[in-house]
Amino acid sequence: MQKLTARDLVQLRLQRASKNGPEQRCVTICSGTGCLAGKSGECAEAMERELEKHGLRGEIEIRRTGCYGFCERGPVVVVEPENICYLDVRPKDVSGIVEKTIIKHETVERLLYQDKDGRRIRKFSEIPFYRHQTRVLLHANVLIDPKSIEDYIGIGGYQTLAKVLSGMTPAEIINTIKESGLRGRGGGGFPTGVKWETTRNAPDEPKYVVVNADEGDPGAYMDRSLLEGNPHSILEGLIIGAYAIGAHQGFIYVRQEYPLAVENTRKAIQQARDRGLLGKDILGSRFSFDVTVHEGAGAFVSGESSALMNAIEGRVGEPRPKYVHTSVQGLWGKPTNLNNVETWANVPLIIDRGAAWFRAMGTKNSKGTKVFSLTGKINHSGLVEVPMGMTLRELVDNVGGGVRDGKKIKAVQTGGPSGGFIPESMLDVKIDFDDLWEAGSMMGSGGMIVMDEDSCMVDAARFYVQFLAHESCGQCVPCREGLRQMVKLLDGIAAGNGKEGDLELIEELCDLLADTSLCALGTSAPNPVRSALKHFRPEFEAHIKQKRCPSLACRDLLHYEIDAKKCEGCLICKRECPTSAIAGEARKVHRIDYAKCTKCGNCLTVCPPRFSAVRRAPGLSPVRPPVANPPVQPAE
Amino acid sequence: MDRTQTARVVDVVVIDDEESIREGCRQALESEGYLALVANDGAQGIRMVEETRPKLVLLDLRMPSVGGIDVLERLPRIDPRIVPIVITGYGTVDSAVTSMKLGAFDFIAKPFDMDQLLEVVTRGMARHAEAPQPSKPALKLVPPPRELTEADVLLRGLEVLGQFYALGLGGDTLSNRLRALEEEARHHAGHLGRIREEEKVLTDLVKDLKLVDEVIEKHEFKKNALIQIMLEIQSRKRWLPRHVNMWISRRLNVPLARIYSIASFYEAFSLVPQGEHTVQVCTGTACHVRKSDGLLSMVSTILGIEPGQTDPDMRYTLKTVNCLGCCALAPVMKVDDRYYGNPSLSDLRAVFESTKNEETSCKS
Repeated sequence: MQKLTARDLVQLRLQRASKNGPEQRCVTICSGTGCLAGKSGECAEAMERELEKHGLRGEIEIRRTGCYGFCERGPVVVVEPENICYLDVRPKDVSGIVEKTIIKHETVERLLYQDKDGRRIRKFSEIPFYRHQTRVLLHANVLIDPKSIEDYIGIGGYQTLAKVLSGMTPAEIINTIKESGLRGRGGGGFPTGVKWETTRNAPDEPKYVVVNADEGDPGAYMDRSLLEGNPHSILEGLIIGAYAIGAHQGFIYVRQEYPLAVENTRKAIQQARDRGLLGKDILGSRFSFDVTVHEGAGAFVSGESSALMNAIEGRVGEPRPKYVHTSVQGLWGKPTNLNNVETWANVPLIIDRGAAWFRAMGTKNSKGTKVFSLTGKINHSGLVEVPMGMTLRELVDNVGGGVRDGKKIKAVQTGGPSGGFIPESMLDVKIDFDDLWEAGSMMGSGGMIVMDEDSCMVDAARFYVQFLAHESCGQCVPCREGLRQMVKLLDGIAAGNGKEGDLELIEELCDLLADTSLCALGTSAPNPVRSALKHFRPEFEAHIKQKRCPSLACRDLLHYEIDAKKCEGCLICKRECPTSAIAGEARKVHRIDYAKCTKCGNCLTVCPPRFSAVRRAPGLSPVRPPVANPPVQPAE
Repeated sequence: MDRTQTARVVDVVVIDDEESIREGCRQALESEGYLALVANDGAQGIRMVEETRPKLVLLDLRMPSVGGIDVLERLPRIDPRIVPIVITGYGTVDSAVTSMKLGAFDFIAKPFDMDQLLEVVTRGMARHAEAPQPSKPALKLVPPPRELTEADVLLRGLEVLGQFYALGLGGDTLSNRLRALEEEARHHAGHLGRIREEEKVLTDLVKDLKLVDEVIEKHEFKKNALIQIMLEIQSRKRWLPRHVNMWISRRLNVPLARIYSIASFYEAFSLVPQGEHTVQVCTGTACHVRKSDGLLSMVSTILGIEPGQTDPDMRYTLKTVNCLGCCALAPVMKVDDRYYGNPSLSDLRAVFESTKNEETSCKS
């Protein structure tokens, strides 16, 4: 294939722009992992068939884009240029969309977003979930097919690279990044420009650049969506970084749990290589650079920089002591600059629009935007991008649409297993590296889990400690043994076997881990427990002293019961019980056999809301046995 | 000497009441490519010789009821071309002289080794070849070709049966002959079965090693691609058997211990065979908060296995996974390549029913 020059890029962009002008009709269908799970692939096929049927196949483009972010309500379909956004689209809805919207220019009301007051919102950009965001990085996700380099070039992609290679010196680039105030988006928040400069100035050769896409933080998928939805932007950032640092070889380390991200990344690299954007003499300059994809194999600790480098070298992905920073001695002992996916994605934008543009967003010490995966007990979970400086409460209420089912918010967890819980009383904290740190948590890579009154903090703290104990590589004793002991203590507390003094022992272990572990996994492991203890100590004490879980979440301290007054004998829970633990006949009150019940909670989920007869109750089984099968009184 | 390609008469009939001698001789003869039949007394031996007209008869002199001398006297009347060789424990001049008088071609004294035997047999065969052509066609037995199934053996038995009927033979002769045939068939079938099994094991092994070679070659024999190589093999073979690991170690020249340390460190690798379908229940934070433990216990109840286990029919392996990155759909289950967000019990039943029927399944 023909290798491109800077001029070709401009020409390609213009060609594409004239083809995809503002009046061009187009149907975009989100094809991220979340929407694909909701059958968006079949929706796209149905769309092709429908357009074919009406003879519109040639006129209207169907674009399978990356993640839209509103995964909760996916598959998402947007009809352009009207910008009409349909949510929860099923393949059977497609013919309606074509007949009404495409042909008659009308809207299908029932597929539109409906706000709290029942109003239907037509435009994508006006839906509150999107309206309150500042989508700088995620913006392109909805515009392009990630499998098409032409689409990326069409929206101005690789122009920044051309600009860099044709006239900027490495020092200029590094200065721009430094000036912008960009800080590492992987969690640490280290100034990116300073890191680049360290590697550039390190005396050894060759130098390497690495993209860390080993997004092991459970409950977070920012990197996945960026790589899946716009792989070329990361590639462009990486090439610019490599040029600034003086590297000729790069690596993208991506989790194999993200098959679509792996596929799209590999495809993007191949396309870039075919067009001379990777390889020798990029865009006709003297600069040569190439990239290799390395798949992670499912170990949280491998996301740690030195562990990740071990893995790329073909060894077990365990951390090594970092007496010297990896930016000076990294891969094969050579200077290596490692940045997170989101950090790299910011690079082309900063270089293109200037440091001042970036600095205009955010707070004093945290500039730009941050992508979060907003999940948990929230109405609009999904992938969101907001400017630094927004408060957590604004984020949860405006973007996230508040907590589900009208419950009360209890806490927000940020920073994943290395972060902490921020209680409701402190939600006015700003999204800022330093403010979050002071609030007892951290920015982290962008996981944000909302917990409501039904979430137990003992259970949540235990979840993270269990996770870390399982993921500990076992090289250093404090982390390996300390976490194991902590799991034992927390398991005991959650099961109602906690003793006086357990909490103090846990705190002591926390100090030990923080002071003596080898890598960040161990030193930050106490954060979730510490912050849970700090803000929710009474909950822990209730488990220990009263053997009671105030949120009714700990399995060993609760049972499910059927309210004889409310049960209408509809047989649904009986049918849906996987262990057949529910007995009952039609129109007679059902009963739970506690010998068979595994407390999966499915009866509570399936009990129709108009009855709400199933509930959780403290204790292992009811104190009084329920009344045996009284006939249901006919409703008035 | 390869005689297996051409159809021919029975080469040798061994008549001896001592099983060890009988079988020893047969094996030695078969190893040289002769087709040998065995009889355990004189009477059976005579019938067998009548039916099959061998080239050569190996017979013991001292046997119960019909002895070797009687057989020797009968042989020229059955077919003068048969070359008789006498085996005798009485290595005396008397018995030797008697047997030579009665037309024995040669004699071997017990104990003898197989080289001696084969030397005498070779000479006997040469004598037989010099003899004039027979007037009556002999019964033909087709030797076992290399690829012989049990069905082949059975068909051959029926063929032979047909030939027996054609010769007008019946009764005792037939049943004896059939018993011998059955024994022979079992003997061959047993061997064949074992060969087949070994062949299959070897073919599978070679296939695995070829896969390793292919993947390693794709990664240009780079040692630092070790994890990538292992991942690819894992994804294609679904687990890493010992021979595969040994072969990777050898081809890449990395210690086997390193391969095992990687395989046991990462979640993605499996050192035991996996079920046909992999069921992953996400237990990431978002899923945990939305009660993935309830989902896990439902799946576990339906499949009847705990996380980390495979069912006895090797259909499903149930696993938990840290995060699938579909947090908005929580709690999430993934079966092979398909994701299911917050499935209900009936969805789950439908999913596992449909994967059982190998149909495509869908989300609620």
